[in-house]
Amino acid sequence: MNGLISTLRLLLLAACLGWLLPAGAAEVESSGFGEIAIPQPAKPAAASACVEPVEIMRREHMNFLMHQRDDTVLDGERGSKYSLVGCMDCHNPSDSAETAVRYPDPQHFCADCHRYASVRIDCFECHADRGLGKSQQSQLQPLLDSDLTSLHSFRAQLEHKRVD
Amino acid sequence: MSTDLDDTELQSSRRRFMQAAGALAATVVVPGVLLYQTGQSANAGERTPRWGLLIDTNALSEADVDACVQACQREHGWHSEDGSRTDAQWIRKVRLSDKQNGHQRVLPMMCQHCAEPPCVDVCPTGASFKRADGIVLVNKHTCIGCRYCMMACPYQARSFIHEPLRDQLPVAPRGKGTVESCTLCVHRVDRDGANAVPACAEAVNRNDRKAILFGDLNDPDSEISQRLRSVGTTRLRADLGVDPGVSYQGL
Repeated sequence: MNGLISTLRLLLLAACLGWLLPAGAAEVESSGFGEIAIPQPAKPAAASACVEPVEIMRREHMNFLMHQRDDTVLDGERGSKYSLVGCMDCHNPSDSAETAVRYPDPQHFCADCHRYASVRIDCFECHADRGLGKSQQSQLQPLLDSDLTSLHSFRAQLEHKRVD
Repeated sequence: MSTDLDDTELQSSRRRFMQAAGALAATVVVPGVLLYQTGQSANAGERTPRWGLLIDTNALSEADVDACVQACQREHGWHSEDGSRTDAQWIRKVRLSDKQNGHQRVLPMMCQHCAEPPCVDVCPTGASFKRADGIVLVNKHTCIGCRYCMMACPYQARSFIHEPLRDQLPVAPRGKGTVESCTLCVHRVDRDGANAVPACAEAVNRNDRKAILFGDLNDPDSEISQRLRSVGTTRLRADLGVDPGVSYQGL
């Protein structure tokens, strides 16, 4: 019986390795379909870290933004650390409209991955697709310690919704 | 009789069950309630503000009103394309003239931020809404561009965006297929509260002469409330009962 289980384990291990190894190799070279390279969007030079670790941002950025947009539009919460303006200020800053990288351009920080993942968003039909630098940024700085207030209101609203 | 007894027992056991369930629910709910109350406690004892404007037309020349419109355009990045009826107009220059003596008056006309906004009543998606502090806005994430609110507004304060736009300003997202109007410079209000100065007011207010005064109508000690008490003001089409948040002095 034990011998049977250990054989099965070995088989399973071999199968896993068989799956993993070629996949890893493919990731380095290309993704296969029409030689589209996996996007590696450049990190901003100005900031040392994003508002969350990269792994979380990759999966959750759309949820963060969706939550923040309702807080801002409906309740006037401007202090959230998740904000599309904040994204653009770091990832696509530009001083002039002529030299700015636009969303349809694959070089745009957002467009790069969205193209790869075949995601179509309409954020930038209304929102600015570039950061305007300090002049506009200063308008958006909240009066209070932003992270703490947004965290409190986020929790409060979460609990409030649960009660409802 | 026995059935009655059974019923009573059943009811009492049911009551006990409900009480227990209630207690359980309370223990589950209480942390949430407490958190919510903690979140609100910063505002405890304060009444909700209602933001409004007092516009002194005596202090506004025609050039001042033009300056208001331009300041609003700069702040929010809208502009009139060719003067057609479909142009965006967050704030308009309205000329009143007395036919008997020819006296003319020019006033800036924007969303009146009604307490009973007709645009909110007619909106089929809830996109047109009034914030807790009385500012009437369009949530463009849910606006479907039906333009009922434009029909309903007695002040013709809203515009529809017909063409695709680009290079909008971060503080004022606007896009094709949605309705827009004066936001009472909501980004400034969220930042500065009662000390906020909307862009139109900033353009025309001088050191001691506040031609456009922004403030809290619910606070009896605010400058706007005191001035509204002391001077005679007019609210446009007050007969409609929409309770506008903008008052005009000198009409």
